[in-house]
Amino acid sequence: MTEFSQQLLNGLSLGAIYALLAIGYTMVYGVLRFINFAHSDVFMVGSFIGFYAAKVIPPGSPGGGLAILLVAMVGCALLGMAIERFAYRPLRKAPTLNVLITAIGVSLLLEYSGQKFFGAAPQRFPAVFPTREFQLGHLTISSNQVIVIAVTGGLIAALRWVVFRTRIGTAMRAVALNPQAAALVGINTDIVISFTFALGSALAGAGGILYALNYPSIDPLMGVMPGLKAFVAAVLGGIGSIPGAALGGLILGVVETFVGGSAWSTGKDAIAFAILIVILLFRPAGILGRMTVEKV
Amino acid sequence: MDPVLAPPAAIPLLSLDRVTIRFGGLTAVNSVDLTVGEGERVGLIGPNGAGKTTVFNLITGVYAPTNGIIRFRGQGLAGLRVDQIVARGIARTFQNIRLFAHLSVFDNVRVACNLHRGTNAAQTLVRLSAFRAEEAAIARRVDSLLEIFNLGRFRDAAACSLPYGEQRRLEIVRALATQPKLLLLDEPAAGMNAAEKIELVRLIQQIQRQFQLSILLVEHSMKVVMGVCQRIIVLDYGLKIAAGSPAAIQSDPKVIEAYLGEDHQKNVAHH
Amino acid sequence: MDRTLGGSFRFAPHLALLGALLASGLIGVCSPWIDPYYLDVMKTVGINVILAVSLNLVNGYTGQFSLGHAGFMAVGAYLSAAFTLFVAPHWLGPLGGGPFGQGLLFLTALLGGGLCAALAGLVVGVPSLRLKGDYLALVTLGFGEIIRVIFQNVDFLGGALGLNGIPAYTTIFWVLAFAAVTIFVVVCLVHSTYGRGFLATHDDEIAAEAIGLNTTHYKIVAFVVGAFFAGIAGGLYGHFKQTIAPVGFNFTKSIEIVVMVILGGMGNTPGVVLAAILLTLLPEVLRPVAEYRMILYSFLLIVLMIARPQGLFNFSYRRRKSA
Repeated sequence: MTEFSQQLLNGLSLGAIYALLAIGYTMVYGVLRFINFAHSDVFMVGSFIGFYAAKVIPPGSPGGGLAILLVAMVGCALLGMAIERFAYRPLRKAPTLNVLITAIGVSLLLEYSGQKFFGAAPQRFPAVFPTREFQLGHLTISSNQVIVIAVTGGLIAALRWVVFRTRIGTAMRAVALNPQAAALVGINTDIVISFTFALGSALAGAGGILYALNYPSIDPLMGVMPGLKAFVAAVLGGIGSIPGAALGGLILGVVETFVGGSAWSTGKDAIAFAILIVILLFRPAGILGRMTVEKV
Repeated sequence: MDPVLAPPAAIPLLSLDRVTIRFGGLTAVNSVDLTVGEGERVGLIGPNGAGKTTVFNLITGVYAPTNGIIRFRGQGLAGLRVDQIVARGIARTFQNIRLFAHLSVFDNVRVACNLHRGTNAAQTLVRLSAFRAEEAAIARRVDSLLEIFNLGRFRDAAACSLPYGEQRRLEIVRALATQPKLLLLDEPAAGMNAAEKIELVRLIQQIQRQFQLSILLVEHSMKVVMGVCQRIIVLDYGLKIAAGSPAAIQSDPKVIEAYLGEDHQKNVAHH
Repeated sequence: MDRTLGGSFRFAPHLALLGALLASGLIGVCSPWIDPYYLDVMKTVGINVILAVSLNLVNGYTGQFSLGHAGFMAVGAYLSAAFTLFVAPHWLGPLGGGPFGQGLLFLTALLGGGLCAALAGLVVGVPSLRLKGDYLALVTLGFGEIIRVIFQNVDFLGGALGLNGIPAYTTIFWVLAFAAVTIFVVVCLVHSTYGRGFLATHDDEIAAEAIGLNTTHYKIVAFVVGAFFAGIAGGLYGHFKQTIAPVGFNFTKSIEIVVMVILGGMGNTPGVVLAAILLTLLPEVLRPVAEYRMILYSFLLIVLMIARPQGLFNFSYRRRKSA
């Protein structure tokens, strides 16, 4: 039983990070109807921003940790907006395939530039928050896990507030539902899309820091697998649905952790793809998504 | 214009029997009965949103009816894929032209000849005389079809580069290449001027005679409908509200109210 | 655009194939006198041509965005290597160890690998092909990764470390010959009344069905034929590098092949062949700036998509309307 609860906790902690990443994917898909392959690399850049920021801001205090988190989020938001502005916006009217390939190009560019400028070898991410361990009965809880879950929860709550209680959030939902109609009622879709990228990328940046807290070995290719898995989580939950992405992330994190602790541990990477295939074949709309019919 | 034919022969070519389709809460087509006989030209009219294109989509297998049965040549079409229904002998054109924009005019028609192709894929690799003979025969057939419809001079041009009227004609020729018994035309006169509409009426009559098929026509232009159709069925909000000869339909008060409107006399004079 | 069949095209494909095979044979015979470095480069070019042209059938002509081509390459590589390493030694005795016996063995291994890859293509294709665009890309990516992970976990095929000591059966003749065959098959398939169906499926699937084409059939045929040749390429690769590991057949490898297809102009076989050659030679040429090579490469991809989405070598471009 304790083994189960421990795994569950680990799974939720991992799932929270997947949720943050998945939300970014789903938000961009919602407004632009395309999969931003470069998102996973923004996540990676977030970790590295934190890594370099920790050289300036002394790590190990809650304030310092929060500052590093904030710096990473802002940095990633800017990066995300730049990518949208220079790589995706020129292709706004192009077939989706072209944009998909551009996204792959941006992703590769970030990875290889990272290898060149950060160095390809893994580096150790410092403990930016003070680490402690708690015992709850037989459960061992690390403070990093608490931070991950707390920060994720806080960010999702903040996002929900933005999406439902601000004008720009309403504009985002409008653009996601019908971009032409949104433009016709005077919404500046360019600004909304930029903002969406900024938000999604900020979350990815936060995810990068939180991930590095629990898995302190960072390298320029670290985003690939978590990115793919987070994407699967977004599809699982229903692509285009923010609660879906969060739900999908949590489910995937838990499933992956349990598989990793079981007899088929080597399959833990493949389980995400297996889930992807099953979902796409049997219920492409995902858990919380809606099926759409093409009008002939 | 032909007089109204006697009621269709015992087994009509196409029959819709209380066909209904619901999309969630919307009943797009509501218990519609419809028949098309051999060699008949039938019109399907109604205001926008009445369900006319949906009826086409039901016949061609894009949608499956929620209720009711569709029969073609006496056999049910339930469960068949779109391409299987085409193989049975039903061809269609689309409200918004769906040509293969990046293929040549020639290739657009040629690809429709696949339905009656005898050789198989492997023979494209070996290319013995049977394959070459069939390809040559297909090429001759396509060229002659293009000539009949005055598209020969555009043969190698990209389909998307054709003028609008020629594109519409090409779509019809492509449908004819599948050798249908029933041709469904979805608003073929859309975007045409008066002279082009007259030409279209002549074209449809020519097609029906020359290729010996039946025609089911959805159209908004009354001039074209009256010029082509021997019998007309009227839909409104998914329901069949009237059926009969063109003259009967024109004076039917339900139709006038739903569709032709109070300015009916003016409309008839203008179209 | 295709002119009618008949006329000069009637015999041309077979003559061209024959000519290419003869030329390959000639180069093969001369190979002892060619600098081994250039031979190796040519072999890599040829293998990439096979990969790119086969993927072009799926992505370019039929418009199915497949991101898992490396998975089929892996199937071909592993199964052909397994044959030559574990099965063939029992057969070598009766067949004799000479060049003829060896050649026959290798051909069997390659074809076997290709057929297994084709089977994998069928298994992947049938369920996936109801999906479109992004979703299809992802499912194929997922399958590609699963294939890789499967090989990673099969211990008698070397597990994560892969297989070593694969006999060096891949000669320049085999590579060039199969490259010629791949191009021949794809071109002949597509340039026929039957083959126009691939393009029609790509251009407008709904219209294609409305003229009686079974679009699923075309998608599956493209997938399976593409997978077959990817498997052949994998077999050639394995018996060239003499060592294969799961990590070499990952998503990145699939992307490399996709880039060749895009650079060449989707659905443009000559362009894709040129692109494969260019992209194989480029890293060699860029050795001086090797550190920045991949950065330039990815930058090129972005610029290309924005500035010239039809590819570098596509000169008969008509602007596609947005999806």
